[in-house]
Amino acid sequence: MTAALRRYGWSYVFVLPTFALFVVFTLLPVVQGLALSLQNARVTGGEFIGIANFVTLAEDPVFRQALGNTILYTTVVVAAQVTLALVVASLIQPLGARSRVFYRALFYLPLVNSAILVAIVWRWIFNANPFGLANTALGTIGLGPFLWIGSSDQALIAVILSAVLTIPGGGVVLYSAAIGSLPRELYEAAEVEGAGPFAKWWHITVPLLKPTTLYLLVVYTILAFQVFERVYIMTNGGGPNNATITIVQLIYSTAFQFGRYGLASAMAVVLFVMAIAVAVVQFRALRSDVEY
Amino acid sequence: MDRELIISRRRFLQSLAAVGVAVACGPTAAPSATPSAGASAAAKPITIEWWRRNYTPGSQTAETVTSDAAVAGYRQRYPNVTINIQGGPFGPETDQKFDIAILQQKAGPDVFHTTGGDVLKYAAAGQLSEPPLTDAERRDFNPSALQATTYKGKVVAYPLWIVPWFEYINLDLFKEAGVTPPKDGSWTYDEFFAAAQKLTYKRSNGKQVYGFAHANDEFAFMLIDGGRPYDKDVKTWTFNSADAVSGLEKWVALAKAKVMPPDFLTLNPNDSQARFLSGDVAILQRPSAMINVLNADKNWEYGKNWDIANFPKAKGDQTAWGGVGFIAVREQQDADKKAAAHQFAKYLTGPDIGPDLKKLTPPVEYWLAPAGRTSAAGIYGEYHPAKAKVAKMGAFTYVLPNVSTWSEIDQKYMRPARDAALEGKKTPKQALDEVTSAAQRLLDEANK
Repeated sequence: MTAALRRYGWSYVFVLPTFALFVVFTLLPVVQGLALSLQNARVTGGEFIGIANFVTLAEDPVFRQALGNTILYTTVVVAAQVTLALVVASLIQPLGARSRVFYRALFYLPLVNSAILVAIVWRWIFNANPFGLANTALGTIGLGPFLWIGSSDQALIAVILSAVLTIPGGGVVLYSAAIGSLPRELYEAAEVEGAGPFAKWWHITVPLLKPTTLYLLVVYTILAFQVFERVYIMTNGGGPNNATITIVQLIYSTAFQFGRYGLASAMAVVLFVMAIAVAVVQFRALRSDVEY
Repeated sequence: MDRELIISRRRFLQSLAAVGVAVACGPTAAPSATPSAGASAAAKPITIEWWRRNYTPGSQTAETVTSDAAVAGYRQRYPNVTINIQGGPFGPETDQKFDIAILQQKAGPDVFHTTGGDVLKYAAAGQLSEPPLTDAERRDFNPSALQATTYKGKVVAYPLWIVPWFEYINLDLFKEAGVTPPKDGSWTYDEFFAAAQKLTYKRSNGKQVYGFAHANDEFAFMLIDGGRPYDKDVKTWTFNSADAVSGLEKWVALAKAKVMPPDFLTLNPNDSQARFLSGDVAILQRPSAMINVLNADKNWEYGKNWDIANFPKAKGDQTAWGGVGFIAVREQQDADKKAAAHQFAKYLTGPDIGPDLKKLTPPVEYWLAPAGRTSAAGIYGEYHPAKAKVAKMGAFTYVLPNVSTWSEIDQKYMRPARDAALEGKKTPKQALDEVTSAAQRLLDEANK
């Protein structure tokens, strides 16, 4: 032990700056958040109240609605985005090298746009008036006009659609790179056996992409759990009758508008536990021994 | 500018002379614990800090222009007092900055603008210095505004202005639809409803016009029959009373009649103003600040293209919803600074500032909303004929009493209840009854 420490101990010096930053900016805020969740903390301070904040949350219909909305949004959006990324990447793959680069860039570039600007555009697309883009487009085939974000029945659908219809550029790039590294001999063997394009995709590409799928599922789930700006901009932070309120939106208003930092921290803890629980399930379900 | 400089120098020399006389006549008095003495502020060089939301040095925002002018005007009267202004955008980040400075660090501004529940929050923490108001000054302030800044029986800040809400009417659309604008700006709910219905029509160019719109941040119609959120003592939640329910029913009737744009539930203030400016809406419910928006637009000429009217009247006396702005002075040990801060706060809320700023080159309109006190109210009406009309309507405004948990009651419970009723998912009574226990709990919490 001492010899190993003597020999390799200096290497910790290189790790130390990153570790210090992690402790100060990640670990400590998480620990502080946990501590605050057990206090009736306001800006002037707070007292330890045990799990009272969590009991309040369990009894709060607005929090339950935010929880339900967040879960629904995450389930639909993550499933759609991962599927869409896989399909788009698979469609790009057979193209020539230049075209592949062009399409990867094309799908990735929107990601550099401000999320706020994107949300403003979606707000206009799903405007309840006949001049909203979605209503104008649907009107040409005799549908609508729909109320979209102006109705408590349709607002969450509009928010979900705005996320689903945004092609996940990051996922496309990752899947595209992963597909490019899959062994060719498996496809050649399948062709010899008479497999068609769809069979090859379904039985070779999709299973071999499990590690990438797992990564994307975990990352997209966490991102979807944290949805905020889309809801805040498109539906003025919760929509009619709180129809689009999500947990992060509620955390924001509870902390910064109502000044209840303890209660907001308890919500953050619930979200943290949810993210971990879902990630564990995803890891267990998609754990793969695939090597190639 | 030169004129200002000359006046400043003269006044400065006068002040210096006054200090000289005071020093020669006797020993300097010990700093008074009470901030009533303006003498120390009038002589000794003192620097105080004024925190003003939306102040951005060098910009042309109304807050920046009026604040710089206010300091210039004050310095002409009291050249020994230097005032440093600190800004910050409207929003939770700045609110938090105020909270951390005032509540945690017990430092920061000597004088600051504040609204709503913040006054009570800072007063409860013992961080506000009580304004030394004379009886005459108390009588001069609007009673509702003074009540809104009263904490445990004591006035804890200076009411600055009352921000009343009105109906802005597009005279061109009224003319086109053959609707007569309300005489002297007064109308009943039935007259208003009938006008909104007639004004909801498709123009010859196919453009849809809606009779009425409001932003999604208000509850004005619930006051129309006398409904109020709280009882007089602000102890009991009463926004489920029969009067409040009938007010909401009148509001729901507008939604049912489809006289509002289909997105009225998510129409934020800027969007609602944009709809009015683009001629999509004939009657718009907005605060008095909308007057300046219309004045700044060459296409909108007062009396020709637009006019202003009061809230429609039903059973209630005060029908218009209004907010109050305050100037507060932070409690601190430094008696001289505190005295100077009070003197400046009195100036900011008093009758002298309006005329002082009007004399500047170029003249500056200080009062962005009607003043919270009678002696300062006159000049607001001098700025513009629409403002003169508005100045007479002030008594029609109900000022929401300060309750520190109001934003939570409002956003978490009242808005969803209102939306559910307006969408027809719940009856007004059902929607308001469901909110009562949560609202009462939060009201009790605020009263602790």
